[in-house]
This record gives sequence, C-alpha cells and structure tokens, in this order.
Amino acid sequence: MSFLENVYQNMYIAVLVILAVMLFACLIRAVRGPRVADRIMAVNMMGTMVMVMITVLSLMLKEGFLVDICLIYAMVSFLAVNVLSKVYIGVYAENYQRKIHQAGKSNQKGEENNDGNF
Amino acid sequence: MMEIFEWIRLILGAALLISGLIIFLVELFGVFRMNYVLNRMHAAAMGDTLGISFSLVGLMIFSGLNFTTLKIMLIVIFLWFSSPVSSHLLARLEVMTNEKLENHCRIYADLAELNDEIKKESGEKEKGDEQI
Repeated sequence: MSFLENVYQNMYIAVLVILAVMLFACLIRAVRGPRVADRIMAVNMMGTMVMVMITVLSLMLKEGFLVDICLIYAMVSFLAVNVLSKVYIGVYAENYQRKIHQAGKSNQKGEENNDGNF
Repeated sequence: MMEIFEWIRLILGAALLISGLIIFLVELFGVFRMNYVLNRMHAAAMGDTLGISFSLVGLMIFSGLNFTTLKIMLIVIFLWFSSPVSSHLLARLEVMTNEKLENHCRIYADLAELNDEIKKESGEKEKGDEQI
C-alpha cells in the first residue's frame, strides 16, 4: 500500500468517526425535542448525515453500488418526512373536528381542557 | 508530475470535505442553540443543502471521472429539490398544530394589517433619517 493510499484510508476513517459523533448529537435532539416537528426535523438531519457516511464508505471500500443505496436512502428519507407531516396534520384535524362535535353535543357542559402539547 | 497532481487532488477534496463537516457542526450548534422549531429549521435546512453539497463535491473530486461521480451529483441535485419541499411541509405542520403560536411569533389575521404595519415602520424610518 502506498503512502497516498494510507492517507486516504485514515482520512475516511476520521471523517466517519466525526460523522458518527454528530449523528449521536442529532439523536439527542430527536429524543429531547419537545414537539413532533422537532423530532421529524432531527430525523431528517440524521438522514442527511447518513447519506454522507454511505458515500464515504463506498469510496473507502471501492464499491460503486453503495452510491445507488445512498440515492434510494435519500428518496426514502424525503418520503418519510412528507408522509409523517401529512399524517400528523390529518390526525390533528380529526381530533379538532371531534372536539368541536363533542362541544356542540354537550352544549358547553364543562370547560374543555385542551393541552397545547400535541 | 503525476504525483503532484494526485496531491493537489487530495488537498482540494479534503478541504471541501472538511468544510462540509464544519457546516454540519454549525448546523448542530444552531439546532441546539435556538429555542423554537421554526427558528431551528433555518439551521437544519443549511446542512441539508450546503453541507451535503460541499461534502459530496469533495468526494466527487476523490472518486475521479467515473460513473460513480455522476450518481453522486444526482444525489446532490435530488436533495436540492426535495429539501425545500420537506421544510415547507414541516413548517406547515408546526403552524397548523401549535395552539399557542402567538407566544413565539406575531400572527396577522389579515394580510392588510401586515401591509399597514410595514408602511408605518418605513414611514418612521424615513422620518428618523430626516431628523438626522
């Protein structure tokens, strides 16, 4: 193995370690995030970092097909964020409609305790 | 002669890759520093477009003229198109589901109110300029 090859391998390993540490920080954000949008945003950031990791890995192992997996990962990550946002909007609208319906039926019997921590 | 070219390629690619990592670090700093989702989204969107395009351009320089390079470029272009769409949907989710949004930002029920306020502010600024 030549000197240049050695430099490349060490640099790839260093970049992978740094990205893994940053991925862990993103995971902390996803666990701590007080709202749903926070968590989805953190998952999106993790997806971006994993894409860079897969591409570095494909150059490190000299396997071209790993880049295809990275492209598919990008598409699945995009789809996941969109579907989760749409589903949460739909769930919220459904709960809101039900609340209005019950309020109309019970004719303002008691105070509605709506917690804003959705 | 060929060796010098190889070293130049290594240094250029490493500089781009490291600047991409620095932008990821700035993104993480912003995400932990801001205190509301709509503010955090600014920082998160930066890493999605600028961070990944810097790091992947660095990796494209490493891989040389290949079919792999073309595929890496496809990833960057796809993210440029997909990141604004997902950011928009996330912001819409937050605005629609948060019942206490007025604690974090001003809300205008009508667009005319916003126009009035902008007009008033710009008028005050012009008046201040005249006094100076």
